[in-house]
Amino acid sequence: MNAGMGFHLSHFQSLLLFALLISIAFGFLSRRRPIDRVKYIVWSLFLFLLIGVGIGWAMYPFSR
Amino acid sequence: MADETAVPAAPRQDTRRETMAFVMGVAGWIVPGLGHALLKMWGRAAACFLTVGMLVILGAGMRGNVFSSSGNDAFDSLGYLADLGTGAFYLVARSLETSGADVSHAGGDYGTRFLAAAGVLNLLAALHAYEAARGRKA
Repeated sequence: MNAGMGFHLSHFQSLLLFALLISIAFGFLSRRRPIDRVKYIVWSLFLFLLIGVGIGWAMYPFSR
Repeated sequence: MADETAVPAAPRQDTRRETMAFVMGVAGWIVPGLGHALLKMWGRAAACFLTVGMLVILGAGMRGNVFSSSGNDAFDSLGYLADLGTGAFYLVARSLETSGADVSHAGGDYGTRFLAAAGVLNLLAALHAYEAARGRKA
């Protein structure tokens, strides 16, 4: 990743950042207690990554 | 008679509450997190502001497409609506993206999605602030 308003992220870095930010927002919006928020954020992040990587592998046979 | 005089008070209060809820929703749309901040939900306000802001900065930094009102097709118009969802951050994205969009690489394409997701997320947060102000959710 380069500084100076030019971000060059890999596919996985983009997925990770996107999943993290959206999970944090969803966790804060949908849960009130801090412990519930943390649990929701961790679980949501895990599912984002699992499904994202899973879809990536599912598309692999069609990539060539 | 007492009942007749008491009846109009409740609808007036409801109307006022509805108006305030609408103001909270619009405030949350224009400045991400402001709707929740006005409701004294500080954690949610900070989370909305920071996540939407980060998505916009990353999206513009990755040279994603910031759609304008002069779109050529329906997808451009939908993209413009999604980008407008970021409120004031739409102007920030336009000012950050001085060298224009570059969607010839995956990074630029991801940037476009980051910007659209920021807008939709902010609209969701504004709707949440509206519902919270109405007393339906907290």
